[in-house]
Amino acid sequence: MSALTLIFKEIVHRKLNAWLSLLAIMTVVTLGVAFFTTAEASRRETTRITRDIGFNLRIIPQNTDLDTFWAAGFSDQTMGEDTLQRLTGHTNVFLSYNHLVASLQQKFLLGGKEVILTGLSPAITAPAQRKQPMGYQIKSGTVLLGYQVAQRLRLKKGDPLELNRERFLVERCLSESGTDDDIRVFGLLSDVQRVLNLRGRINEIKAIDCLCLTADQNPLKILRAELAQVLPEAKVFQLRALADARARQRQMSEKYFAFLLPFLLIVGAALVGLFAALNVRQRRVEIGVLRALGHGSAMIATLVLGKAVLLGLLGAGLGYGIGSALACVVGPDIFPVTAQGIKAEPRLLGWALVAAPAFAAMASFIPAMLAVTQDPARALQEE
Amino acid sequence: MIQLENLVKIYQTTQGPIHSLDGVNLAVKPGEFTVVHGRSGSGKTTLLLTLGGMLRPSAGRVTVDGQDVYAASQRERAQFRARKIGFVFQMYHLVPYLNVLENVLLAGKPEPGGVRLARARELLTQLGLETRLPHKPEELSAGERQRTAIARALLPQPKLVLADEPTGNLDPESEAEVFRHLAEFHRQGGTVIVATHGPAADEFADRIIELHAGGIKP
Repeated sequence: MSALTLIFKEIVHRKLNAWLSLLAIMTVVTLGVAFFTTAEASRRETTRITRDIGFNLRIIPQNTDLDTFWAAGFSDQTMGEDTLQRLTGHTNVFLSYNHLVASLQQKFLLGGKEVILTGLSPAITAPAQRKQPMGYQIKSGTVLLGYQVAQRLRLKKGDPLELNRERFLVERCLSESGTDDDIRVFGLLSDVQRVLNLRGRINEIKAIDCLCLTADQNPLKILRAELAQVLPEAKVFQLRALADARARQRQMSEKYFAFLLPFLLIVGAALVGLFAALNVRQRRVEIGVLRALGHGSAMIATLVLGKAVLLGLLGAGLGYGIGSALACVVGPDIFPVTAQGIKAEPRLLGWALVAAPAFAAMASFIPAMLAVTQDPARALQEE
Repeated sequence: MIQLENLVKIYQTTQGPIHSLDGVNLAVKPGEFTVVHGRSGSGKTTLLLTLGGMLRPSAGRVTVDGQDVYAASQRERAQFRARKIGFVFQMYHLVPYLNVLENVLLAGKPEPGGVRLARARELLTQLGLETRLPHKPEELSAGERQRTAIARALLPQPKLVLADEPTGNLDPESEAEVFRHLAEFHRQGGTVIVATHGPAADEFADRIIELHAGGIKP
């Protein structure tokens, strides 16, 4: 008779023990899946919010006069466009910087008043992350108009616009932002470089910081040290309020998870181990008989650990279903900010099917050893 | 040949040590039917478990066919039990969630071609249990349970059957039947050692010994 048959029949016979063990495993998997599903949704939402907030790092030429910079809103110095390629080509740069966009900004007379003509390069993101690049996607020969510019010049989508004797098509008129974006004209970097006669030059690289540290953790020191290595001709500023908001949101969810997960695992393991130990105690005579019949330690251990693995697989399947449903049904009420992003995560099923049996087997290890090392003669004599 | 030399088994208890076996010397020839009498606590169960490689003695030696049982590793002793020993217990010790046939098939190693299954069915038929194969132990009478336990002990075709109070819970009719089956195994050349209170096994015995206070009464 195979060990698997014995395990199945024992589970069916001692239903209460099996149900309680299954319940413990299922609870761990359910909460784990609900937790990770929500965490994943939270991560997606954080990304979305961050994208909505915008870039929080500004890299400008080292020789920029900061009084002029803050007064004008951009650097009056330029640096080579290749600085972006050098920065993104540096090892591990994407651990600190992401969504890098090179820009060239200059004041420009348009219709008798000054606008900020802004050229943007396509964003460069970390290669492995497959993140959708942030910022505007601008096609060559087209421009995006800030709200105030469009209003003043009475321009709308599809209208032509001449910049330094070069003709462009208005691709979009932006809604009112309440920032200096309202007096900007956005174009593709190469187009703007041509218009301003500054080919191959930029005066800023915008980016998002990936460190997710709050101000007290001094992320700027790390960012500046890294930049000094790669681009000594540039310096970096961080928009602290935006960066802190993002870092706080991410750190808070990570702290919750870091507290809950070990607690969940310890309580679950204790319960699974306890039920396995009770089961072994209940089966002392049976184990003694198997010993008397010549079955070895491997068979005895297989009966205990095999049962744990089987219940682990079952618990993983059920726990995944319940956990996903829990996250989707209850999650939006508990985590309103994350609500939109909550959806089942199929890859968690794979993880659960591997982790839950391993977890149950580890929790049952001590009971299995008790079964293997128990004195069969004593069990048979006591009966 | 089974040989016990100066066998001592001491149990350590909170009330002090108990000498369950105290210098037992015994030789059992192959094919012998030995009945061990003795009062409760005289060491009968300890003697059988020690003999069967289940309970390491405090001192002394157990040899079976010239092999020192406790000089072997735990794994070798398990193999020794699987091949050479059949145990029958007073409380039957059938696995409650297995039916009669499955309980019998717990014994012995798998053999190709369904030989073991055929032998299990044959044994159960010989023991009058052919209609009870799918039944669980709780659905059987005491006598049927013990006959199932005998079939389980005999399935691996052991050389030695150790029966510890096999009829302690049976009515006289079932008791006689159990001993008849053990006697049949003996008649076919098997060695039987039965520990029992009562005299019912005596008529089949080649030899009767009495345990008293951990030793063999002369």
